[in-house]
Amino acid sequence: MKFLKKYPLIPSALFAFGLYLAILPFGTTKASLLDFFKPEPAPKEEVIDLEAFSRIPVLRGGRVKPLDSVARNTLLVLRNKRSALDQNGTMIPAISWLAHVLLNPEEADKLKTFVIDHDQVLGLLNRKLAKDGKYYSYNELKPFLKEIDESARESGKLEREKQDSFDQNIIDLYRSVLLYRKLKHTLSPPAPPPETKMIEDLDLNTFFFDSDKDKDRTDEYSRFRSITKAISQDPSTIRIGSDEFGRVVFLLDHYSRSNLWSEFFPVPPETGDQKKRWRKVGESLVGEEPLDSDQKRNLDPAQFASLLQDLIRTDRVPLQEKVNFILTKEKLNPTALFAAQYAEAIKLRTEVDPILPLYEKLRKAYVRNDPSGFNDAVSSIRRLCEQRAPDQVTKLGFEKTFNAYEPFYRCSVAYIIIFLSACLSWLCLAINTAKFNANHSKSFKNVAYHLTLIILIAHTFGLLGRMYIEGRPPVTNLYSSALFIGWGAVLLCWFTEKYLRLGIASSMGAMVGFGSLVIAHNLSLDSSLNPTGDTMEMMRAVLDSNFWLATHVVTVTIGYSTTFLAGFLGLAYIFYYFIHQVLVSDTSDNKLSSLLSSSRKQLEKTLGSMIFGITCFSLFFSLVGTVLGGIWADQSWGRFWGWDAKENGALLIVIWNAIILHARWAGIAKIRGIACLAIFGNVVTAWSWFGTNMLGVGLHSYGFMDKAFNPLMSFIVSQMVFIGVAYLVTPLRSLFRKKQPAAK
Amino acid sequence: MSNQSKKKQNAYSVGARKKAFPWIVPFASVRLTLTLLSFSMILIFVATLEQVRIGIRGAQAEYFESFYGIWYYPEQFWGGSFLSMVPLPIPGGYLLGGLLIINLIAAFITRFQWSGKKMGIQIIHLGIILLLIGQMTTQAIQVESRMQINKGESSDYIERFHGVELAITDVTDANRSKVVSIPEQLLTPGNTLRVPGFPFKVRVQSFGPNCNFDFKESADQRSEITRGVNQGIGASANLSLTPMDEDFSNDAANFGYLVFQLINGSEEMGTWLAVAHPAGNDRWKFIHAKLEGMSFQPLRHQGKLWGMELRSIREYLPYSIELVKIENEFYQGTDIPHNFESHVNLNLESGQKRKALVYMNTPLRHRGKTFYQYQMNKAADYTVFQVIRNPSWLVPYIACILLSVGLLWQFSFHLIYFLRKQSKVSG
Repeated sequence: MKFLKKYPLIPSALFAFGLYLAILPFGTTKASLLDFFKPEPAPKEEVIDLEAFSRIPVLRGGRVKPLDSVARNTLLVLRNKRSALDQNGTMIPAISWLAHVLLNPEEADKLKTFVIDHDQVLGLLNRKLAKDGKYYSYNELKPFLKEIDESARESGKLEREKQDSFDQNIIDLYRSVLLYRKLKHTLSPPAPPPETKMIEDLDLNTFFFDSDKDKDRTDEYSRFRSITKAISQDPSTIRIGSDEFGRVVFLLDHYSRSNLWSEFFPVPPETGDQKKRWRKVGESLVGEEPLDSDQKRNLDPAQFASLLQDLIRTDRVPLQEKVNFILTKEKLNPTALFAAQYAEAIKLRTEVDPILPLYEKLRKAYVRNDPSGFNDAVSSIRRLCEQRAPDQVTKLGFEKTFNAYEPFYRCSVAYIIIFLSACLSWLCLAINTAKFNANHSKSFKNVAYHLTLIILIAHTFGLLGRMYIEGRPPVTNLYSSALFIGWGAVLLCWFTEKYLRLGIASSMGAMVGFGSLVIAHNLSLDSSLNPTGDTMEMMRAVLDSNFWLATHVVTVTIGYSTTFLAGFLGLAYIFYYFIHQVLVSDTSDNKLSSLLSSSRKQLEKTLGSMIFGITCFSLFFSLVGTVLGGIWADQSWGRFWGWDAKENGALLIVIWNAIILHARWAGIAKIRGIACLAIFGNVVTAWSWFGTNMLGVGLHSYGFMDKAFNPLMSFIVSQMVFIGVAYLVTPLRSLFRKKQPAAK
Repeated sequence: MSNQSKKKQNAYSVGARKKAFPWIVPFASVRLTLTLLSFSMILIFVATLEQVRIGIRGAQAEYFESFYGIWYYPEQFWGGSFLSMVPLPIPGGYLLGGLLIINLIAAFITRFQWSGKKMGIQIIHLGIILLLIGQMTTQAIQVESRMQINKGESSDYIERFHGVELAITDVTDANRSKVVSIPEQLLTPGNTLRVPGFPFKVRVQSFGPNCNFDFKESADQRSEITRGVNQGIGASANLSLTPMDEDFSNDAANFGYLVFQLINGSEEMGTWLAVAHPAGNDRWKFIHAKLEGMSFQPLRHQGKLWGMELRSIREYLPYSIELVKIENEFYQGTDIPHNFESHVNLNLESGQKRKALVYMNTPLRHRGKTFYQYQMNKAADYTVFQVIRNPSWLVPYIACILLSVGLLWQFSFHLIYFLRKQSKVSG
């Protein structure tokens, strides 16, 4: 009984729910915190083990990652969700969607993969949003591919500023279709169009993979190898006009072109490769093209044939040296460069990479629904990758679990609960009956405070997880800056709440935390910011400095975060002030208004000092961060300050914080003024964070986006409305009050 | 005043200082600080917006390196069709910076308490004064240039990003050429210039920082400016040009032009046209074979040979830099650059040779100049360094140290006070 008294039911339930959100699996979020400490689940035998399949390493977007990440990231681009739908619209895990796409494309074409929610784009496809929904399969798009292609081309011709929402949506759809098709062909290069006359002439009719006659695609690859072997044994056939040579040229061209139809690199680095390059299927057969394919038009055929003949006559070891020599020294000579590639394809690449037959085995087992064959192939592929790239596959298990744990999704839900607890605590205070009184209010506040700590840990874990996977400091792009801003604000709020248990810091921290995570989610959906769907993208050379990312970027981001926090505390004050002004009058005598009036002095003092203290933090961090940025710029660009848009944005925050502090020190602004100045700080920070990126000028414009323009504008307007309310509510009230008695 | 009189009057107390310098007091006001800071916000915001229209360098020249700028509300914004007609004066960087420095110094004299408790505040503001002074001197004296080197070659000069000069090179002696150059400040139309070591006078007909040019079929189809040109490439290629405003944007390509006459005593020798290629006059051949000679328009007279060209302002260095190798790597399967680096040899005056590696975030510093990796062309095998000479580069570093010390001092004071108070309240 005592326990129940000490821990009332509703607060405890809220707390338990928050705890549950932080740790355990729920909904589509399948992993729990405990999964990180468990070893990989034992391989299944009697069913197709997609869990093991999802851990196969591949290289995409410059980084080795598990297939699970490829599945989730591409779905984020195609469907704006990290999960997939089957043909009936029932949700299925991302990895089983990817298994279909890679291994059984005909079935995959039926799955509802694409999101289309723009009326005009749907009109192009003769569909209606209300009737047909917004998710479509590739098969449903197939009849309209030509229209999509043409419209997207038209739209693509426009400058970016002139494109309207239709243009952008049709381009996005075009890119999605392209991405999907590339994904489909990654493991199975598309065959050339069958009616090509060249195939007839070169007697290649029976060369390409035929599911009736061949075991699998490796038969085709072996045939290719025997053709190249024949020609390397008899180099005299390398001349213009010979059938043997014509076949090799045609096939090399075909496989080189197939590389364009490949979304990721499935073949791990070959043994002995110093640069540890992963390869596409075509590259594994014929090597990398040294130049753009178009450059082939510029080469001199006779010279090409004779040079290639010379190269093929050379023994393998000196040939390798010659090829390397050409690739580094003759960069302006397409004839030599392509001859080097051809020589490599013909003489140096004599085997079919062992991973290709394994992937073929995987495909056949999947289509036949043969669990033991599938699981065998998966484990062989993974073993081979581990052998060939031992240092690149160590983090894959963690990344897989991290994907499934979805820390930021969890946190965003939990922040709502924290906010709710804080609001309930004030409600209890306001109602003040036997059932809901100050004691309950206190326990709600405590719930909010303790939950903040727990969710903060989950949020921190999410940031640390990203840092571990990337090997980078926490902020590397706009997406991660949003995650970090939320984190910083919540951390500071937790500290503030520790000393001032009013629920205000908790609630505002939860609001900033939730808001920043929502912003982060929307940033991850932006196709121009995040074209691969992977929020852990590689850093461009100029930013590739962990020291400065860890110091300058982190400090500046903390500065953003604290300025937002001060602004939200300002909002909290204005909200209180508004209610106070509306409800409390000299005549009214209810419980709420007396509570409001009695607490006014104390609250103004505490909120005032909270805003002041946090603004001090903001000034400190934004100033130090800006100055560190100057030093970085001096180190890497040679000038301390260059009036670059983003630099100016940071400077605006510094100056604004200085204005707030000086206004308070000089006694020019009182609590309401300070609160409004802090709210305007939100506007300044939002401008600096996003607005500067929209200008598309300057060195920091790596995150250009215009979709955020309207949200940014509405945010700014909303802040201005709050400031307006703060100054207008009193005069309006007196106007209103004066009129009322007259009406009576 | 009353409580101050109770305190022991100290010659260095705020009150005493206020009395000593009554005329400084108004300059030290916080309201002035707040006003100046608010105007700075407007200035920075407007100048950032203007970068879209006139580029970073343009905005810098118009707003930050001036006492005031005139701003027109952008036409494409909401309500821009008539708001854009009102010219708005915006106080410029030099005005606000200067006033802020005065305000701060005045505050030092008459407002700040010179005590240990407030020491942090003083150090912070000293740091800010230094930052402001540092930035203003930097803007006044910093010079930005570029150096382009082809692989296997070396270069001993740097070229300005902006500004051209007329260079007249005496190449009669194939081993030793003598260059005389006329900076663009002197190239005002109508000016007649004597050039030392050159027997002719140069009369400037027209000059501009940027132009558009194209070939015409016959001489009289050429535009007004170039119609009189009867010598050199301008005449042989029937080049016609239209003047344009200088482009200040980051990827600007300004083709400066000069139409000039040479005068021998009182006799006119003809009119020449010279155009400067922004990436160096040896790039002309890639535009058109006819224009290759723009880098050297020959003039023979009494057994002597000169070459004339309009080129970016050059500065010769007592040392040279040789490009050995360049590397430009991308993350596999992406178009995100992973690394740009140039392997160079620094050939010093003394004959000493030093190897150096220039890459992102790691420039080469030598004799007060800093060489940064700026552009690179892997296919054509050349690299471009940005070269900056900024003698006041140390000032911001000192300012930063002051700022950090001051901030830490002051905020730790506050934090400790706050925590102590809270522990008292809760205890």
